[in-house]
Amino acid sequence: MLSKKSSLLLLGPGLLFIVLGFCLPAVMLLLAPPGIGPAEVFARLGRMLQDPYDLTIIGRTLGLGLLVTALCLVIGFPIALLLARSTSRWSGLLLALAIFPLLLSNVVRTYGWLVLLGQNGVIGQVISAIGLPAPQLLYTETAIVLGLLQLFLPLAIVSCYSAVAQVDAGLDDAARGLGASRTRVLWTVTLPLSIPGVIVAATLVFAGATTAYTTPYLLGGSNQRMLATQLFNYSTVSIDWAAASAVALIMTVLVFAVSGVSTALGSRKGKTS
Amino acid sequence: MSIRLAIPKPTMQKTGGRPVLGTLAVIGYVVMIVPILFVVAAAFSGGDSLQFPPENFSLKWFGAAVSYKPFMSALASSAQLAVLATLLALVIGVPAALALQRSNFAGKGWVQGLFLSPLIVPELVVGLALYQQLIAGLGTSTFTALLVGHTALLIPYAVRVTGAALSLADPFVEEAARGLGAGPFKVFTSVTLPLLRPGIVSAALLSFVTSFNNVPLSLLLQGRNFSTLPVSMLDYVQKSYDPMIAAMSTLILAATIVFAFIAERAVGFATIFGGINK
Repeated sequence: MLSKKSSLLLLGPGLLFIVLGFCLPAVMLLLAPPGIGPAEVFARLGRMLQDPYDLTIIGRTLGLGLLVTALCLVIGFPIALLLARSTSRWSGLLLALAIFPLLLSNVVRTYGWLVLLGQNGVIGQVISAIGLPAPQLLYTETAIVLGLLQLFLPLAIVSCYSAVAQVDAGLDDAARGLGASRTRVLWTVTLPLSIPGVIVAATLVFAGATTAYTTPYLLGGSNQRMLATQLFNYSTVSIDWAAASAVALIMTVLVFAVSGVSTALGSRKGKTS
Repeated sequence: MSIRLAIPKPTMQKTGGRPVLGTLAVIGYVVMIVPILFVVAAAFSGGDSLQFPPENFSLKWFGAAVSYKPFMSALASSAQLAVLATLLALVIGVPAALALQRSNFAGKGWVQGLFLSPLIVPELVVGLALYQQLIAGLGTSTFTALLVGHTALLIPYAVRVTGAALSLADPFVEEAARGLGAGPFKVFTSVTLPLLRPGIVSAALLSFVTSFNNVPLSLLLQGRNFSTLPVSMLDYVQKSYDPMIAAMSTLILAATIVFAFIAERAVGFATIFGGINK
Protein backbone atom coordinates (compact mmCIF):
# COMPACT_ATOMS: atom_id res chain seq x y z
CA MET A 1 0.00 0.00 0.00
CA LEU A 2 1.17 3.47 -0.86
CA SER A 3 0.96 6.43 1.50
CA LYS A 4 -1.58 9.22 0.79
CA LYS A 5 1.22 11.61 -0.07
CA SER A 6 2.92 9.38 -2.59
CA SER A 7 -0.31 8.40 -4.33
CA LEU A 8 -1.21 12.08 -4.65
CA LEU A 9 2.22 12.64 -6.16
CA LEU A 10 1.65 9.82 -8.66
CA LEU A 11 -1.86 10.92 -9.60
CA GLY A 12 -1.35 14.69 -9.55
CA PRO A 13 0.31 15.32 -12.93
CA GLY A 14 -2.18 13.05 -14.70
CA LEU A 15 -5.19 14.66 -13.05
CA LEU A 16 -3.92 18.11 -13.95
CA PHE A 17 -3.40 17.05 -17.56
CA ILE A 18 -6.83 15.40 -17.91
CA VAL A 19 -8.68 18.28 -16.27
CA LEU A 20 -6.91 21.10 -18.13
CA GLY A 21 -6.20 19.38 -21.44
CA PHE A 22 -9.40 17.42 -21.79
CA CYS A 23 -12.29 18.06 -19.39
CA LEU A 24 -12.15 21.84 -19.36
CA PRO A 25 -11.96 22.31 -23.16
CA ALA A 26 -14.74 19.73 -23.65
CA VAL A 27 -17.04 21.43 -21.13
CA MET A 28 -16.30 24.85 -22.66
CA LEU A 29 -17.16 23.52 -26.13
CA LEU A 30 -20.40 21.95 -24.97
CA LEU A 31 -21.66 24.90 -22.94
CA ALA A 32 -19.81 28.06 -23.89
CA PRO A 33 -17.79 28.05 -27.13
CA PRO A 34 -15.69 31.19 -27.80
CA GLY A 35 -17.84 34.31 -27.97
CA ILE A 36 -21.07 32.39 -27.38
CA GLY A 37 -23.00 31.85 -24.16
CA PRO A 38 -24.80 28.73 -22.92
CA ALA A 39 -28.17 30.34 -23.64
CA GLU A 40 -27.37 30.60 -27.33
CA VAL A 41 -26.14 26.98 -27.50
CA PHE A 42 -29.32 25.70 -25.88
CA ALA A 43 -31.50 27.92 -28.07
CA ARG A 44 -29.77 26.45 -31.13
CA LEU A 45 -30.22 22.95 -29.70
CA GLY A 46 -33.94 23.67 -29.21
CA ARG A 47 -34.33 24.79 -32.83
CA MET A 48 -32.38 21.76 -34.02
CA LEU A 49 -34.76 19.42 -32.20
CA GLN A 50 -37.69 20.96 -34.10
CA ASP A 51 -36.11 21.25 -37.53
CA PRO A 52 -37.18 18.39 -39.86
CA TYR A 53 -33.77 18.26 -41.62
CA ASP A 54 -31.82 18.06 -38.36
CA LEU A 55 -34.28 15.54 -36.99
CA THR A 56 -33.73 13.35 -40.05
CA ILE A 57 -30.00 13.36 -39.32
CA ILE A 58 -30.52 12.57 -35.63
CA GLY A 59 -33.00 9.83 -36.58
CA ARG A 60 -30.62 8.37 -39.17
CA THR A 61 -27.74 8.35 -36.68
CA LEU A 62 -29.84 6.59 -34.03
CA GLY A 63 -31.49 4.21 -36.48
CA LEU A 64 -28.30 3.14 -38.25
CA GLY A 65 -26.55 2.92 -34.87
CA LEU A 66 -29.20 0.51 -33.57
CA LEU A 67 -29.24 -1.52 -36.79
CA VAL A 68 -25.45 -1.87 -36.84
CA THR A 69 -25.44 -2.83 -33.14
CA ALA A 70 -28.05 -5.54 -33.75
CA LEU A 71 -26.20 -6.89 -36.80
CA CYS A 72 -22.87 -6.89 -34.95
CA LEU A 73 -24.38 -8.96 -32.13
CA VAL A 74 -26.27 -11.36 -34.42
CA ILE A 75 -23.11 -12.04 -36.45
CA GLY A 76 -20.44 -11.41 -33.82
CA PHE A 77 -21.82 -13.64 -31.07
CA PRO A 78 -21.93 -16.80 -33.25
CA ILE A 79 -18.36 -16.15 -34.40
CA ALA A 80 -17.24 -15.69 -30.78
CA LEU A 81 -19.09 -18.86 -29.75
CA LEU A 82 -17.64 -20.98 -32.56
CA LEU A 83 -14.12 -19.65 -31.89
CA ALA A 84 -14.33 -20.16 -28.12
CA ARG A 85 -15.72 -23.70 -28.36
CA SER A 86 -13.74 -24.92 -31.35
CA THR A 87 -10.83 -27.33 -31.09
CA SER A 88 -9.94 -27.00 -34.76
CA ARG A 89 -6.35 -26.08 -35.49
CA TRP A 90 -7.71 -23.24 -37.62
CA SER A 91 -9.38 -21.52 -34.69
CA GLY A 92 -6.21 -19.65 -33.69
CA LEU A 93 -5.83 -18.25 -37.19
CA LEU A 94 -9.54 -17.36 -37.39
CA LEU A 95 -9.35 -15.57 -34.03
CA ALA A 96 -6.30 -13.65 -35.25
CA LEU A 97 -8.17 -12.73 -38.46
CA ALA A 98 -11.05 -11.37 -36.40
CA ILE A 99 -8.78 -9.27 -34.17
CA PHE A 100 -6.34 -8.08 -36.83
CA PRO A 101 -8.74 -5.49 -38.35
CA LEU A 102 -8.64 -3.67 -34.98
CA LEU A 103 -5.03 -2.77 -35.79
CA LEU A 104 -5.74 -1.65 -39.32
CA SER A 105 -6.54 1.95 -40.17
CA ASN A 106 -10.26 2.72 -40.54
CA VAL A 107 -9.48 4.65 -43.71
CA VAL A 108 -7.91 1.56 -45.30
CA ARG A 109 -10.77 -0.69 -44.23
CA THR A 110 -13.48 1.72 -45.37
CA TYR A 111 -11.75 2.42 -48.69
CA GLY A 112 -12.41 -1.22 -49.65
CA TRP A 113 -16.12 -0.42 -49.93
CA LEU A 114 -15.36 2.38 -52.41
CA VAL A 115 -13.63 -0.22 -54.58
CA LEU A 116 -16.57 -2.62 -54.21
CA LEU A 117 -19.52 -0.21 -54.35
CA GLY A 118 -18.15 2.67 -56.47
CA GLN A 119 -19.36 3.68 -59.93
CA ASN A 120 -17.07 1.26 -61.77
CA GLY A 121 -16.82 -0.94 -58.70
CA VAL A 122 -16.90 -4.70 -58.56
CA ILE A 123 -20.53 -5.15 -57.52
CA GLY A 124 -21.86 -2.63 -60.06
CA GLN A 125 -19.87 -4.36 -62.83
CA VAL A 126 -21.25 -7.77 -61.89
CA ILE A 127 -24.83 -6.49 -61.84
CA SER A 128 -24.55 -4.78 -65.22
CA ALA A 129 -22.82 -7.85 -66.68
CA ILE A 130 -25.96 -9.83 -65.90
CA GLY A 131 -27.87 -7.20 -67.85
CA LEU A 132 -29.59 -5.45 -64.98
CA PRO A 133 -29.43 -1.67 -64.49
CA ALA A 134 -26.64 -0.89 -61.99
CA PRO A 135 -28.21 0.59 -58.85
CA GLN A 136 -26.72 3.46 -56.87
CA LEU A 137 -24.74 1.66 -54.16
CA LEU A 138 -22.33 4.25 -52.86
CA TYR A 139 -23.62 7.19 -50.82
CA THR A 140 -26.57 5.19 -49.52
CA GLU A 141 -27.56 4.09 -46.03
CA THR A 142 -26.80 0.50 -47.07
CA ALA A 143 -23.20 1.48 -47.80
CA ILE A 144 -22.90 3.13 -44.37
CA VAL A 145 -24.33 0.05 -42.64
CA LEU A 146 -21.90 -2.27 -44.47
CA GLY A 147 -18.97 0.01 -43.63
CA LEU A 148 -19.91 0.29 -39.95
CA LEU A 149 -20.54 -3.45 -39.72
CA GLN A 150 -17.06 -4.14 -41.07
CA LEU A 151 -15.56 -1.60 -38.68
CA PHE A 152 -17.26 -2.77 -35.47
CA LEU A 153 -17.63 -6.54 -35.91
CA PRO A 154 -14.12 -7.22 -34.52
CA LEU A 155 -14.98 -5.23 -31.39
CA ALA A 156 -18.22 -7.18 -30.93
CA ILE A 157 -16.43 -10.51 -31.49
CA VAL A 158 -13.69 -9.71 -28.98
CA SER A 159 -16.13 -8.63 -26.23
CA CYS A 160 -18.42 -11.63 -26.79
CA TYR A 161 -15.42 -13.99 -27.01
CA SER A 162 -14.09 -13.03 -23.57
CA ALA A 163 -17.57 -13.57 -22.14
CA VAL A 164 -18.21 -16.92 -23.84
CA ALA A 165 -14.74 -18.22 -23.00
CA GLN A 166 -15.50 -17.65 -19.31
CA VAL A 167 -18.63 -19.81 -19.45
CA ASP A 168 -17.61 -23.29 -18.36
CA ALA A 169 -17.98 -25.65 -21.34
CA GLY A 170 -18.90 -28.31 -18.76
CA LEU A 171 -22.26 -26.55 -18.33
CA ASP A 172 -22.96 -27.04 -22.04
CA ASP A 173 -22.03 -30.70 -21.60
CA ALA A 174 -24.32 -31.06 -18.60
CA ALA A 175 -27.29 -29.51 -20.42
CA ARG A 176 -26.62 -31.69 -23.48
CA GLY A 177 -26.30 -34.74 -21.25
CA LEU A 178 -29.71 -33.96 -19.75
CA GLY A 179 -31.18 -34.03 -23.23
CA ALA A 180 -31.26 -30.37 -24.38
CA SER A 181 -30.70 -29.74 -28.07
CA ARG A 182 -27.73 -27.60 -29.09
CA THR A 183 -30.06 -24.72 -29.97
CA ARG A 184 -31.71 -24.98 -26.56
CA VAL A 185 -28.30 -25.02 -24.82
CA LEU A 186 -27.34 -21.86 -26.68
CA TRP A 187 -30.53 -19.99 -25.73
CA THR A 188 -30.92 -21.21 -22.16
CA VAL A 189 -27.34 -21.71 -20.96
CA THR A 190 -24.54 -20.13 -23.00
CA LEU A 191 -26.24 -16.90 -24.05
CA PRO A 192 -27.74 -15.98 -20.64
CA LEU A 193 -24.37 -16.57 -18.96
CA SER A 194 -22.59 -14.39 -21.56
CA ILE A 195 -25.01 -11.46 -21.24
CA PRO A 196 -22.55 -9.12 -19.44
CA GLY A 197 -20.12 -9.41 -22.39
CA VAL A 198 -22.96 -8.93 -24.86
CA ILE A 199 -23.98 -5.72 -23.05
CA VAL A 200 -20.39 -4.44 -23.24
CA ALA A 201 -20.26 -5.30 -26.94
CA ALA A 202 -23.57 -3.53 -27.64
CA THR A 203 -22.43 -0.39 -25.79
CA LEU A 204 -19.06 -0.18 -27.54
CA VAL A 205 -20.58 -0.76 -30.98
CA PHE A 206 -23.47 1.69 -30.51
CA ALA A 207 -21.25 4.45 -29.09
CA GLY A 208 -18.71 3.88 -31.88
CA ALA A 209 -21.24 3.68 -34.70
CA THR A 210 -23.14 6.83 -33.70
CA THR A 211 -19.95 8.93 -33.46
CA ALA A 212 -17.83 7.44 -36.30
CA TYR A 213 -16.71 9.96 -38.88
CA THR A 214 -14.73 8.16 -41.61
CA THR A 215 -17.54 5.79 -42.63
CA PRO A 216 -20.39 8.27 -43.12
CA TYR A 217 -17.91 10.70 -44.75
CA LEU A 218 -16.59 8.21 -47.34
CA LEU A 219 -19.67 6.04 -47.86
CA GLY A 220 -22.57 8.39 -47.09
CA GLY A 221 -21.26 11.58 -48.65
CA SER A 222 -23.40 14.69 -48.48
CA ASN A 223 -26.56 12.71 -49.29
CA GLN A 224 -26.59 10.70 -46.11
CA ARG A 225 -25.37 13.00 -43.37
CA MET A 226 -24.95 11.69 -39.83
CA LEU A 227 -24.29 13.65 -36.62
CA ALA A 228 -20.50 13.29 -36.97
CA THR A 229 -20.33 14.59 -40.56
CA GLN A 230 -22.78 17.34 -39.60
CA LEU A 231 -20.55 18.40 -36.67
CA PHE A 232 -17.56 18.53 -39.03
CA ASN A 233 -19.56 20.66 -41.46
CA TYR A 234 -20.68 23.17 -38.83
CA SER A 235 -17.15 23.53 -37.48
CA THR A 236 -15.16 23.82 -40.71
CA VAL A 237 -17.44 24.71 -43.64
CA SER A 238 -20.15 26.97 -42.25
CA ILE A 239 -18.22 27.81 -39.03
CA ASP A 240 -21.38 27.96 -36.96
CA TRP A 241 -19.99 27.28 -33.49
CA ALA A 242 -23.35 27.40 -31.70
CA ALA A 243 -24.67 24.70 -34.04
CA ALA A 244 -21.46 22.67 -33.70
CA SER A 245 -21.80 22.81 -29.91
CA ALA A 246 -25.44 21.76 -30.13
CA VAL A 247 -24.54 18.71 -32.26
CA ALA A 248 -21.65 17.93 -29.92
CA LEU A 249 -24.07 18.05 -26.97
CA ILE A 250 -26.45 15.61 -28.67
CA MET A 251 -23.60 13.18 -29.44
CA THR A 252 -22.08 13.42 -25.97
CA VAL A 253 -25.39 13.04 -24.11
CA LEU A 254 -26.26 10.06 -26.33
CA VAL A 255 -22.97 8.27 -25.60
CA PHE A 256 -23.08 9.02 -21.86
CA ALA A 257 -26.70 7.86 -21.65
CA VAL A 258 -25.92 4.58 -23.37
CA SER A 259 -22.87 3.84 -21.24
CA GLY A 260 -24.86 4.79 -18.11
CA VAL A 261 -27.66 2.37 -19.02
CA SER A 262 -25.11 -0.33 -19.80
CA THR A 263 -23.32 0.13 -16.46
CA ALA A 264 -26.67 -0.07 -14.64
CA LEU A 265 -27.67 -3.22 -16.55
CA GLY A 266 -24.25 -4.74 -15.97
CA SER A 267 -24.30 -4.15 -12.20
CA ARG A 268 -27.86 -5.47 -11.88
CA LYS A 269 -26.81 -8.61 -13.75
CA GLY A 270 -23.82 -8.88 -11.44
CA LYS A 271 -26.05 -8.77 -8.34
CA THR A 272 -28.61 -11.32 -9.50
CA SER A 273 -26.16 -13.92 -10.73
CA MET B 1 -17.10 -36.73 -13.36
CA SER B 2 -19.65 -39.49 -13.85
CA ILE B 3 -21.90 -36.99 -15.65
CA ARG B 4 -19.19 -36.43 -18.22
CA LEU B 5 -19.30 -40.10 -19.13
CA ALA B 6 -23.00 -39.84 -19.92
CA ILE B 7 -22.50 -37.22 -22.62
CA PRO B 8 -23.78 -38.55 -25.91
CA LYS B 9 -21.44 -36.53 -28.14
CA PRO B 10 -18.34 -34.46 -27.55
CA THR B 11 -19.21 -30.77 -26.99
CA MET B 12 -16.44 -29.42 -29.13
CA GLN B 13 -18.53 -29.18 -32.24
CA LYS B 14 -17.32 -28.57 -35.73
CA THR B 15 -18.70 -25.53 -37.52
CA GLY B 16 -20.26 -27.80 -40.11
CA GLY B 17 -22.68 -29.15 -37.54
CA ARG B 18 -24.27 -25.77 -36.93
CA PRO B 19 -25.62 -24.44 -40.25
CA VAL B 20 -27.19 -21.21 -38.94
CA LEU B 21 -24.24 -20.12 -36.81
CA GLY B 22 -21.81 -21.22 -39.52
CA THR B 23 -23.59 -19.16 -42.19
CA LEU B 24 -23.63 -16.05 -39.98
CA ALA B 25 -19.93 -16.54 -39.25
CA VAL B 26 -19.09 -16.81 -42.95
CA ILE B 27 -21.05 -13.59 -43.66
CA GLY B 28 -19.13 -11.88 -40.84
CA TYR B 29 -15.72 -12.89 -42.14
CA VAL B 30 -16.66 -11.88 -45.70
CA VAL B 31 -17.70 -8.40 -44.51
CA MET B 32 -14.53 -8.01 -42.41
CA ILE B 33 -11.97 -9.33 -44.90
CA VAL B 34 -13.18 -9.14 -48.53
CA PRO B 35 -13.13 -5.31 -48.86
CA ILE B 36 -9.49 -5.34 -47.74
CA LEU B 37 -8.60 -7.90 -50.42
CA PHE B 38 -10.13 -5.68 -53.10
CA VAL B 39 -8.06 -2.72 -51.91
CA VAL B 40 -4.95 -4.84 -52.51
CA ALA B 41 -6.19 -5.94 -55.94
CA ALA B 42 -6.93 -2.34 -56.94
CA ALA B 43 -3.43 -1.24 -55.87
CA PHE B 44 -1.82 -3.34 -58.63
CA SER B 45 -3.89 -1.75 -61.37
CA GLY B 46 -2.24 0.05 -64.28
CA GLY B 47 -5.32 2.17 -65.06
CA ASP B 48 -6.02 5.73 -64.00
CA SER B 49 -9.26 5.13 -62.15
CA LEU B 50 -10.68 2.46 -59.90
CA GLN B 51 -12.04 -0.12 -62.26
CA PHE B 52 -12.75 -3.81 -62.22
CA PRO B 53 -11.32 -5.90 -63.56
CA PRO B 54 -8.15 -3.71 -63.59
CA GLU B 55 -6.93 -2.90 -67.11
CA ASN B 56 -3.47 -4.36 -66.55
CA PHE B 57 -1.01 -5.25 -63.85
CA SER B 58 1.38 -2.53 -62.74
CA LEU B 59 3.33 -1.31 -59.75
CA LYS B 60 3.15 2.30 -60.87
CA TRP B 61 0.73 3.44 -58.15
CA PHE B 62 3.10 2.19 -55.44
CA GLY B 63 5.80 4.36 -56.99
CA ALA B 64 3.37 7.27 -57.14
CA ALA B 65 2.35 6.84 -53.48
CA VAL B 66 5.88 6.76 -52.04
CA SER B 67 6.99 9.73 -54.12
CA TYR B 68 3.90 11.78 -53.28
CA LYS B 69 5.27 14.44 -50.90
CA PRO B 70 2.10 15.15 -48.85
CA PHE B 71 1.80 11.45 -47.93
CA MET B 72 5.44 11.05 -46.97
CA SER B 73 5.54 14.17 -44.81
CA ALA B 74 2.21 13.15 -43.23
CA LEU B 75 3.68 9.70 -42.54
CA ALA B 76 6.61 11.31 -40.71
CA SER B 77 4.21 13.57 -38.77
CA SER B 78 1.97 10.65 -37.79
CA ALA B 79 4.90 8.55 -36.60
CA GLN B 80 6.40 11.43 -34.61
CA LEU B 81 3.05 12.26 -33.03
CA ALA B 82 2.26 8.62 -32.21
CA VAL B 83 5.65 8.03 -30.54
CA LEU B 84 5.55 11.22 -28.45
CA ALA B 85 1.90 10.82 -27.43
CA THR B 86 2.56 7.19 -26.45
CA LEU B 87 5.55 8.15 -24.29
CA LEU B 88 3.67 11.00 -22.64
CA ALA B 89 0.61 8.82 -21.99
CA LEU B 90 2.82 6.18 -20.36
CA VAL B 91 4.68 8.72 -18.22
CA ILE B 92 1.32 10.01 -16.98
CA GLY B 93 -0.67 6.78 -17.02
CA VAL B 94 1.70 4.25 -15.42
CA PRO B 95 2.15 6.17 -12.12
CA ALA B 96 -1.60 6.80 -12.07
CA ALA B 97 -2.30 3.08 -12.56
CA LEU B 98 0.14 2.33 -9.75
CA ALA B 99 -1.59 4.73 -7.37
CA LEU B 100 -5.07 3.47 -8.34
CA GLN B 101 -4.09 -0.18 -7.79
CA ARG B 102 -1.94 0.17 -4.69
CA SER B 103 -3.78 2.66 -2.52
CA ASN B 104 -7.20 3.44 -1.13
CA PHE B 105 -8.63 6.89 -0.69
CA ALA B 106 -11.99 8.64 -0.70
CA GLY B 107 -13.23 9.41 -4.20
CA LYS B 108 -11.04 6.79 -5.87
CA GLY B 109 -13.90 5.76 -8.14
CA TRP B 110 -14.26 9.35 -9.38
CA VAL B 111 -10.54 9.71 -10.03
CA GLN B 112 -10.55 6.44 -11.96
CA GLY B 113 -13.57 7.63 -13.95
CA LEU B 114 -11.77 10.86 -14.76
CA PHE B 115 -8.73 8.98 -16.10
CA LEU B 116 -10.94 6.77 -18.28
CA SER B 117 -13.27 9.58 -19.44
CA PRO B 118 -11.45 10.28 -22.76
CA LEU B 119 -12.67 6.84 -23.88
CA ILE B 120 -16.30 7.91 -23.67
CA VAL B 121 -16.42 11.47 -25.03
CA PRO B 122 -16.68 11.40 -28.86
CA GLU B 123 -13.26 12.15 -30.38
CA LEU B 124 -14.66 14.64 -32.87
CA VAL B 125 -15.98 16.63 -29.90
CA VAL B 126 -12.55 16.58 -28.23
CA GLY B 127 -10.92 17.69 -31.48
CA LEU B 128 -13.19 20.71 -31.85
CA ALA B 129 -12.84 21.56 -28.14
CA LEU B 130 -9.03 21.59 -28.38
CA TYR B 131 -9.16 23.57 -31.60
CA GLN B 132 -11.27 26.28 -29.95
CA GLN B 133 -9.40 26.44 -26.65
CA LEU B 134 -5.78 25.75 -27.67
CA ILE B 135 -5.28 26.79 -31.30
CA ALA B 136 -7.88 29.59 -31.56
CA GLY B 137 -7.84 30.56 -27.87
CA LEU B 138 -4.24 30.28 -26.70
CA GLY B 139 -2.59 30.38 -30.11
CA THR B 140 -0.66 27.13 -29.65
CA SER B 141 0.78 25.28 -32.64
CA THR B 142 -1.12 22.53 -34.43
CA PHE B 143 1.40 20.01 -33.14
CA THR B 144 0.93 21.00 -29.48
CA ALA B 145 -2.84 20.70 -29.77
CA LEU B 146 -2.53 17.33 -31.52
CA LEU B 147 -0.10 16.08 -28.88
CA VAL B 148 -2.40 17.13 -26.02
CA GLY B 149 -5.41 15.51 -27.72
CA HIS B 150 -3.67 12.26 -28.61
CA THR B 151 -2.10 11.97 -25.15
CA ALA B 152 -5.50 12.45 -23.49
CA LEU B 153 -6.96 9.81 -25.81
CA LEU B 154 -4.20 7.30 -24.94
CA ILE B 155 -4.10 7.81 -21.15
CA PRO B 156 -7.11 5.49 -20.56
CA TYR B 157 -5.30 2.68 -22.41
CA ALA B 158 -2.12 3.21 -20.39
CA VAL B 159 -4.06 3.28 -17.10
CA ARG B 160 -6.25 0.30 -17.93
CA VAL B 161 -3.71 -2.03 -19.54
CA THR B 162 -0.93 -1.46 -16.99
CA GLY B 163 -3.55 -1.52 -14.23
CA ALA B 164 -4.68 -4.97 -15.41
CA ALA B 165 -1.07 -6.21 -15.39
CA LEU B 166 -0.58 -4.76 -11.93
CA SER B 167 -3.72 -6.34 -10.49
CA LEU B 168 -2.32 -9.75 -11.47
CA ALA B 169 0.97 -9.05 -9.66
CA ASP B 170 1.16 -9.95 -5.98
CA PRO B 171 1.61 -6.81 -3.81
CA PHE B 172 3.34 -8.93 -1.14
CA VAL B 173 6.38 -9.23 -3.39
CA GLU B 174 6.82 -5.48 -3.00
CA GLU B 175 6.17 -5.67 0.75
CA ALA B 176 8.78 -8.41 0.99
CA ALA B 177 11.39 -6.32 -0.83
CA ARG B 178 10.68 -3.46 1.58
CA GLY B 179 10.91 -5.81 4.53
CA LEU B 180 14.30 -6.91 3.27
CA GLY B 181 15.51 -3.33 3.45
CA ALA B 182 14.99 -1.91 -0.06
CA GLY B 183 14.02 1.76 -0.25
CA PRO B 184 10.85 2.84 -2.15
CA PHE B 185 12.83 3.78 -5.29
CA LYS B 186 14.74 0.50 -5.27
CA VAL B 187 11.46 -1.42 -4.84
CA PHE B 188 9.96 0.40 -7.81
CA THR B 189 12.89 -0.12 -10.18
CA SER B 190 13.81 -3.67 -9.23
CA VAL B 191 10.43 -5.19 -8.34
CA THR B 192 7.41 -3.23 -9.55
CA LEU B 193 8.76 -2.15 -12.94
CA PRO B 194 9.79 -5.67 -14.06
CA LEU B 195 6.35 -6.93 -12.98
CA LEU B 196 4.77 -4.18 -15.03
CA ARG B 197 6.84 -4.69 -18.16
CA PRO B 198 4.37 -6.82 -20.17
CA GLY B 199 1.61 -4.36 -19.29
CA ILE B 200 3.70 -1.38 -20.36
CA VAL B 201 4.70 -3.04 -23.64
CA SER B 202 1.05 -3.88 -24.38
CA ALA B 203 -0.08 -0.35 -23.55
CA ALA B 204 2.68 1.13 -25.72
CA LEU B 205 1.80 -1.01 -28.76
CA LEU B 206 -1.92 -0.35 -28.36
CA SER B 207 -1.33 3.39 -27.88
CA PHE B 208 0.91 3.64 -30.92
CA VAL B 209 -1.62 2.12 -33.35
CA THR B 210 -4.50 4.02 -31.79
CA SER B 211 -2.73 7.32 -32.30
CA PHE B 212 -1.33 6.44 -35.72
CA ASN B 213 -4.74 5.42 -37.11
CA ASN B 214 -6.78 8.18 -35.48
CA VAL B 215 -8.96 10.28 -37.75
CA PRO B 216 -11.66 12.17 -35.81
CA LEU B 217 -9.33 13.86 -33.35
CA SER B 218 -6.69 14.80 -35.91
CA LEU B 219 -9.24 15.95 -38.47
CA LEU B 220 -10.23 19.20 -36.78
CA LEU B 221 -6.72 19.94 -35.51
CA GLN B 222 -4.76 19.59 -38.75
CA GLY B 223 -2.93 22.66 -39.97
CA ARG B 224 -1.85 23.87 -43.39
CA ASN B 225 1.60 22.31 -43.02
CA PHE B 226 0.90 19.59 -40.50
CA SER B 227 -1.44 16.75 -41.25
CA THR B 228 -1.49 13.10 -40.22
CA LEU B 229 -1.41 10.27 -42.77
CA PRO B 230 -5.01 8.99 -42.42
CA VAL B 231 -6.34 12.54 -42.63
CA SER B 232 -4.31 13.42 -45.71
CA MET B 233 -5.50 10.16 -47.31
CA LEU B 234 -9.11 11.18 -46.65
CA ASP B 235 -8.40 14.57 -48.25
CA TYR B 236 -6.91 12.85 -51.28
CA VAL B 237 -9.94 10.56 -51.74
CA GLN B 238 -12.07 13.64 -52.15
CA LYS B 239 -9.75 15.11 -54.78
CA SER B 240 -9.08 12.11 -56.96
CA TYR B 241 -10.50 8.72 -57.77
CA ASP B 242 -7.21 7.16 -58.86
CA PRO B 243 -5.78 3.97 -57.29
CA MET B 244 -2.93 5.74 -55.44
CA ILE B 245 -4.91 5.48 -52.18
CA ALA B 246 -5.26 1.74 -52.79
CA ALA B 247 -1.45 1.48 -53.13
CA MET B 248 -0.86 3.56 -49.99
CA SER B 249 -3.47 1.46 -48.15
CA THR B 250 -1.74 -1.74 -49.24
CA LEU B 251 1.57 -0.43 -47.88
CA ILE B 252 -0.16 0.40 -44.57
CA LEU B 253 -1.71 -3.09 -44.56
CA ALA B 254 1.73 -4.67 -45.04
CA ALA B 255 3.20 -2.55 -42.24
CA THR B 256 0.26 -3.45 -39.97
CA ILE B 257 0.81 -7.18 -40.61
CA VAL B 258 4.48 -6.78 -39.63
CA PHE B 259 3.37 -4.84 -36.53
CA ALA B 260 0.93 -7.63 -35.61
CA PHE B 261 3.72 -10.21 -35.82
CA ILE B 262 5.96 -8.08 -33.59
CA ALA B 263 3.09 -7.66 -31.11
CA GLU B 264 2.45 -11.41 -31.23
CA ARG B 265 6.12 -12.14 -30.48
CA ALA B 266 6.35 -9.50 -27.73
CA VAL B 267 3.18 -10.17 -25.73
CA GLY B 268 0.67 -12.05 -27.88
CA PHE B 269 -1.63 -9.74 -29.76
CA ALA B 270 -4.87 -11.42 -28.75
CA THR B 271 -3.92 -10.44 -25.19
CA ILE B 272 -3.26 -6.80 -26.01
CA PHE B 273 -5.96 -5.98 -28.47
CA GLY B 274 -8.71 -8.17 -27.20
CA GLY B 275 -7.87 -8.44 -23.55
CA ILE B 276 -8.15 -12.15 -24.31
CA ASN B 277 -6.18 -14.59 -22.20
CA LYS B 278 -6.10 -17.81 -24.13
